[in-house]
Order: sequence, then C-alpha cells, then structure tokens
Amino acid sequence: MSATKTFLLELHCEEIPARFLKPLHFEFSQLFFKFLEKESLVPAGASVSANGFVSDALPDFLSPRKLAWRISGIPTSQPDQTETQVGPPQRMCVDEAGKPTIQGEKFAEKWGVPFSAVRFEQPAGKKEPCAVVTLTKQGRPTADLLTEALPGLIAGLHVPKAMRWGRSEFEFVRPIRNILCLLGDQVVPLQVDGVQASNTTWGHRLFHRAQPAPVAIPAPEAYEAALEAAGVVVSVDVRRARMAEQLEALATEVGGRVVADAELLDTLAEIVEFPKIVRGDFPASFLELPKEVLVTSLREHQKSFCIEQADGTLLPFFLTAANRTDDPAGFVKAGNEWVLKARLYDARFFFAEDLKHPLSDRLEKLQALTFQRDLGSYHAKTGRVVALVKGIATRLSSDETHVNRALEAARMAKCDLRTLMVGEFPELQGVMGGEYLKHEGAHEDVWMAVKEHYRPVGAEDAIPSTPMGCLLSLCDKLDTVAGCFAVGLIPSGSKDPLALRRAGQGIVRILWERGWDLSPSDLITVALGVVGAKATKPAAETKEALLAFFRDRVAYQLEVAGYAGSVRRSALAAGWEDLTDLKARCEALSAFAEDPRFASLAQSAKRIGNILKDETPSTTFDAALLTQAEEKALAEQLGHLEGTPDQAALLTALADLAEPLEAFFNAVMVKCEDPALRAARLSLLHRLRQAFLRVADFSLWQ
Amino acid sequence: MHIQELILRLQRFWADRGCLIGQPYDLEKGAGTMNPLTFFGALGDKPWNVAYVEPSRRPADGRYGENPFRVYKHLQFQVILKPSPAKVQELYIESLEALGIDLSKHDLRFEEDNWESPSLGAWGVGWQVVLDGMEISQFTYFQQVGGLDCRPVSAELTYGIERICMFLGGYDNIFDLVHGEVKTDDGVFPVTYGQMRQREEFELSAYSFEHADLDLHRTLFEAYEKEGWHLLSDLGHFLSAYEQALKMSHTFNVLDARGAVSTTERPGIIKRVRDLACGCAKAYLEFENAKTPTAENAESAEKSVMAGKGGAK
Repeated sequence: MSATKTFLLELHCEEIPARFLKPLHFEFSQLFFKFLEKESLVPAGASVSANGFVSDALPDFLSPRKLAWRISGIPTSQPDQTETQVGPPQRMCVDEAGKPTIQGEKFAEKWGVPFSAVRFEQPAGKKEPCAVVTLTKQGRPTADLLTEALPGLIAGLHVPKAMRWGRSEFEFVRPIRNILCLLGDQVVPLQVDGVQASNTTWGHRLFHRAQPAPVAIPAPEAYEAALEAAGVVVSVDVRRARMAEQLEALATEVGGRVVADAELLDTLAEIVEFPKIVRGDFPASFLELPKEVLVTSLREHQKSFCIEQADGTLLPFFLTAANRTDDPAGFVKAGNEWVLKARLYDARFFFAEDLKHPLSDRLEKLQALTFQRDLGSYHAKTGRVVALVKGIATRLSSDETHVNRALEAARMAKCDLRTLMVGEFPELQGVMGGEYLKHEGAHEDVWMAVKEHYRPVGAEDAIPSTPMGCLLSLCDKLDTVAGCFAVGLIPSGSKDPLALRRAGQGIVRILWERGWDLSPSDLITVALGVVGAKATKPAAETKEALLAFFRDRVAYQLEVAGYAGSVRRSALAAGWEDLTDLKARCEALSAFAEDPRFASLAQSAKRIGNILKDETPSTTFDAALLTQAEEKALAEQLGHLEGTPDQAALLTALADLAEPLEAFFNAVMVKCEDPALRAARLSLLHRLRQAFLRVADFSLWQ
Repeated sequence: MHIQELILRLQRFWADRGCLIGQPYDLEKGAGTMNPLTFFGALGDKPWNVAYVEPSRRPADGRYGENPFRVYKHLQFQVILKPSPAKVQELYIESLEALGIDLSKHDLRFEEDNWESPSLGAWGVGWQVVLDGMEISQFTYFQQVGGLDCRPVSAELTYGIERICMFLGGYDNIFDLVHGEVKTDDGVFPVTYGQMRQREEFELSAYSFEHADLDLHRTLFEAYEKEGWHLLSDLGHFLSAYEQALKMSHTFNVLDARGAVSTTERPGIIKRVRDLACGCAKAYLEFENAKTPTAENAESAEKSVMAGKGGAK
C-alpha cells in the first residue's frame, strides 16, 4: 500500500443560508466518496455505507461562510492496474522461421510494446495459443485526479436556490470567495469560477480588522486550531454544545430555565461562527401578552429564547446568540434589547387592535378566505364543522349546556384567521382565537377548545387537553379529510400537499387516547353527509377510499404505540374499527405473547387455518357424534370460550386451551373416512377459529 | 446622528466610490427598487452604479403616528452596483464605518433573506444585514428584473435610514429623531422627524385604513392599467407606461391595507401589475439594443456600444 495523506477542502463563501449548510455538506460528501470509489482511492478503514456516505470519518465542518471536508488516509496515488490484451493466433503472428509477421508487429504496436513483450498463451475460450500482452496502467497521482475532478464535483452540487453574481455564469449558493485545498501539506491547484485554490483562508471579519493577511493552513490537521485562533469555531456541533451550555447557565442565573427549542438552537449554531449567548431583558409590562405570543415573536423575529419559571410563567428576559465572544461596549446586549422592544410593541399593537372587536365579528369575513376551491371558504368550512360537532357531540354527552358550548367553540374556531396577530404569526392560529375568547370572558371549555383545536400538530405534539378540544379538533380534521377525499384530493405515494395523513393520524390518535366509542366508518358517514353536494366523487367510492385511509392510519398508530409486528398484524386482521377493543386486544396479546403456552396455541391456530382451507364447515354440529376423549374435551371447552364476554378473559380461556388443542391434534385425525364425524370435527374447529378471531388472526402471527 | 447627516455621508461615500447620485422618483412607491434608476438600470449589460434616497410608502404599515417604530412612509437609501463587485460586502461594511459605526464593538451578521417583488417580476437572493440584532439593510443580488435574467448581476444595497438613525442615537421613538437644524438670526432650531412627519403619518394612515374610497381605487386601478397598455402597446412608450404600473402598484397597496383584496383575487391583481412592468422591461431592452449603429453583428456591436457609454447616461 502506498503512502496516505489527509485531504482538506474548504469553500469560503459569502454567508450561506443556514438551511442549506447541512444538505450541501452531506451531498458533497456523497459525491466525493463516489469519486474516491471510482478512482480506487477510498481510505483504508473508511466505512462507506450503502448510499455512499462515510459516517464517522467526516467532521461536521460548516459555518456561515464555510463548507469544509477533511478526510484522512487518502492514498497519494492510485494503485497500478494491470490488464491483459489478447491478439491474433500465434500462427498468424510468427512465421515458420520464428520471425514476427506484419500482423504480429502491428499487434505489439497497437498496445505500445516491443514485439519481445508479446507472449503466446492459450487463453480460456480459445482453441489455440494466441498473442497476449500484459499492460500495466500506472496509477495516477491523487493530486492530479483531485485537480481535475473537484471543480466538476463542486459545480455539480444541487443548490436549491442557486444564484449568479458579477459577470459570471457560474451558479452556486452564494459567491465563492476563497478555496483552500490541501492534500497533506501540498496545495491541490484546482480552480473554480476563476478562484484558484491555495493553502490560506479567512477567519472572522473582526479578526481581520487587525490582521489583513489571510490565515495560512500549513497542513489539514492544523485546520480547526488555526481557525479558532482567527475567530471561527468551524465545527457546528462544537458551537451548538458551547451555546447550549451558556444558555442553561444564563437562565439559571436569573432563576429560570430556557423554554427549550432545539430547532432554534440548531439555527443559531448555523448562523454564527464564534458564538456567545447574550442575555437581555425587556419591560415586564409585555408579560401581559399571552406566553405563546412572546415565545413566537421572540423566536420568529429575533431568534431568541424565552426564560420561564418552574410554573411555566415567563420571566422578562431573553437569550440570543451573538457572533463574537465579547461585548466590549455593551452594544450587542443593548441593541438586541432595543430591537426586541420594538417587536413587542408591534405584538402589543396587534393584540390591542384585535381586541377592539369581538372575535365573532370575523365570522362573516371568513367568507372571503378560501379553504379549498371546491369546498368553499373558511366560512363554509365552519358551517360543516358546526354540523359535525352537532352530530357527534350528542353521542358523547347528553348535557345540553355542554353541547351548546361545543357548538360555540366550533363557530369561533376559525375566526382568528382574520386577526392581525395570526396574519403576522400564522403558527399562532387557534392559540390567538383561544386567547381572545378568554379575554372576552368566554367559558373556559370554549376558549380552551378553540385554543387547542389544531393539536396534535405533529407526531410529537399532544392531543388537546380537554374533551371539548378533542371533539373540535376531531371534527375539524374529519371535515378536512372527508371533504378533500370527496373532491378527489387523495394523498398518494409521497404526495400529500394538504397533509391529510397528518390530519387523519390526529383523528385516530384522539380516538385512541380518548377511548371514545366512535368508529371511523360512522364518522365517515356523518362527514360525507355534511360535505353533501360539494362532493364531486361518488359517495360509495369516497367512503371506500376513506376506510382504506383510516385503516392505514390505525395500523400506523399501532406501530407508534410500540406493539410488535406479529401483534399488530394478527390483531388488525381480526377487526380495526373499534379502537378501544383493538387496543385491549393488542395489550392482551402483547402480554400473552410472553406466556409459554402461547407458541403452542399459535401453532394450533395455524393448523386449524390450514385444515379449514377450502372447506365450508357448518357452524352447528352434534357433539354426540364426536368419539375421542380429546375432541370431547375440546367441545366442552368451546362452550366456555364462547360464553366469555371480555378480551382479557377470552385470552385466558384461550391459553387454557393450548394443552387440549395440542392433545387433540396429536390424537385425532380430523379428515377421517366417516363423513358425518369429519363434518362434526370441521365444525368444531371452525367454531374454535371464530372464537380465536374475536382476538386475533393467528395465521398472521410470525 | 441627524437624518440629513446620515444621508449626506452615504451619498458622499458612494459618490467617492464611483456611483452616480440619483434622486427620488416623484411617484408613490413601496420600495426604492421601483425607481426607474434601479428597475431599468439593472437591465442590460452596461455598467451602472447609482445611489439615491427613496421615500417608500407601505399603507399597511401605517400606525397613525402612534407606534414608535413603524410608519406608513419611511426613507430608503438605495445603492445599485452593476456588475456586483467581488468585494461588495467589504464595501458595504466600509460604508457603515463611514457612518461612524465602529464595527470592533458591534455584532454584524448577514442572514438569509431573499427578496422578491411579484409585482415587478423581480427576485434576487441575499441577506438582511443584522447589527446587534437589528436589521439595518437589505442586500440583494438581482437575478431577474421585469421577468428578464440579469446579466450581469447587480448588487442592491438598501439602508433603512430611520432605523439606522434610531439605532445609532439610541432613540426609542422614531418621531424623536432629529432631521437637522435650522439656523436663523434668532438661533438654532433642531427639527424633529415628528415635527416634520407625525401629522402626515396620522392622515395617511387614516386615509389608507379608513377614508380611501375603495370604488375610486378599483376604478383607478383599471384606468391606470388601460392607460399603461395603451402607452406601451400602441406607442412603444415604456417609461410613461412604467409610471402607470407604479400607480397600479400603489393603488393595489391601498386596497390591500383596507383588506379589500381577498386572498384568491390577490395573485391575479399582482399579475396584472407584473405583466405591465415586464412589458416595459422588454420594450426598454429592445429600445436600447436598437441603438446599435449597424447590424453587421448585432451581438458584438451591442456589447461594444454598451461598454462605450458605460455610466455616461
């Protein structure tokens, strides 16, 4: 093996948008490793995974102005490669005197070797000895290969929002201003869009105020340290970790904790090169604004965290990141405080303006807000949701006041879409409606329901905390899903632009967690009734598509709930619409799977399935026809089994059946000669299977 | 720093670096980009550096002169550099230092903020420039203007004049800013932004939120559009037609501030402004290209002509 060296490439650009840093870093890594593979240059011990990406060998070198890759153990040149070329038969290449013929010499000439290098051997598949030459292709120096290939690899990166600059036609994420490229201590002399690679780069802008010269990087290993000295922490993970530590310390100092936001921390780590967390304060009078408004405004406008107390109430402080580790004149803190105050003034303006009119004033204005072309405005949607709540609330509650409150919540649910605050912060939809209703003195059930009715907004989010909130959320989502299906907007493959799967999952989660006695089939019928004439597809077709859709959502819910594959498959096959029942069966099955009798029972169930295949047994049989003790015992157990009301007890009874069943199969030959006896035995097994199917289809247990 | 001092310094700075100093265009507009010095200047390949102040009206931002930070009308300082220089970020940073901002004491960041003007058929990529957490400028590499690719690319720098003044002076209220000082025989009288503009803010906010005649504005929109297409299609007059597009844009902004435009109508109305603006852009380039003296080799001749008269317009 030849010598190896460490490779380092850094593209120093004008500030690259944070959201593109990781995707670009990842994509180049993949392209680069494909190149290494193709040129037989993969470092020894590098773990190339199926998609061509090396998992650990690459540090996460990325910062606002830098994308960098360092890989050690790259061979300094390709290995030599030999190849054999076969030519004409020996008799045509040498004459009788042993001299080369013209044809023989031409063959040598073709491969650039003297005739003396030609050998005569009989290659596999040939009937006589032929002229053969072995050529050695010398491996090329890695530096040359890199110089040739890298510009193409860089230009070939997929940039989602590419730009041009100056007079150049070259496109990239932001202008490339410097390229550092080393193989060991040697510069790889590549060129991209007129920028020539060197062994220098640039540090933080502050650093270069005093140091106009670029930073020299003598060898790839010196990279991070040299940059840290020039004011750039080039590893995003190191920056993130340093920031997380400071956040916690600064929040603790004022007796609170950071309102956690991992996404915000990621973003901050990507937009600074030399991070410091700054704590500032804002006038306590802004704490009158709802917590969600403060948290959202600080996050969206100022990339700042809030600090909360143990009881969840906010403190008048914020935390944000600066791109320098000091604040010599206090300007950084003062500036951020100043801006934040301006933002909060605006939030307060929106809040006060919105409160000038009751929320219900916006109901009519919803007519001008389109929900979906075929399904009409948000006003029309509100009408449908109200009708759904009316249809479903009465099944869950007989308290008229309660039902009326739910209807009130449904009417108000979408009004906040026309408020200034939601116009400014769309993610506060629902929350603001709830807050405004609370201010107006609405009943807590009503405002809480409105506030939480978009929940769960994702897999991580909780369902609404109140039953009324759950009902409203369910009806809203049900209308969205059923309405869209009814006008032909059905998600397929990766296409689900209206996030109907997420809405469907929300419905299933609410049913699952609340344990409400509402079946998807019933809900679909009610919802399609409400959609009525807006539907453009035949109702039967829509209902079928919706049932399949909900079955998939239920299957996914079982997966999320953590049941084993065999539990999920066999339980679902025995019925999926009654979620409470399904949950009970999954629980019982999961517990029972540990029971030693279980394997035997599952085995027997499968045998029953096999025996009954292609048979049409009757459901009744005459127990008197049975002859053997084992089958009589089984028939006796059957009665007990069929009389068992609940799932858990049924499973216990089934467990008790394991042994008799095994004995039965050992002793009894089901398909015997006597047709009457055979029919009775088949019926017995059929009835047993029916009992099993109340819990699960064990034939799917693996 | 007084507002006028900030403007004077920026003008001096950019004039010294080879920019023409332009003037605001005397029509209502939402941003400095709409000034023909930028809209047409960014098209074609002649070198073009220009800087100017542009009063920008955003009816929806009106706060009756009561909000200390947000106003119906604010001042933008606009710089266009075509082609974008390799050291454009450094130039911009120097301009901040010319304003007396000592960057050794501040936190300066360039955060992604891509600019798009659907009504001008224009977009670019760039940043908002953030100083100690405050956005003080918008920095854009134009990719398209008037629906046409920018070749070469211009860099556009837009400074928020009031914001920078407030920030530098630590003002908590925009109306407390000092525009400048009036010196008379009787003494020196500082004049505040509030004295000059607060009543205007009140009236213009009231107008756009309450008193603007919606039917009139709808009619005006239609009329400007008709006039614009007449000028452009029948006469080939892209400058006067472009003025109509600007008037359409402002009329739309007034209607929008009143909530008189539904979300569904919106894209269609913006497209009508864009269509006219794009038509003007195309006609402008055709006009410029037709100035080529002979047609032996249209392409190379065009280039030499463009290069020859660079900046001399």
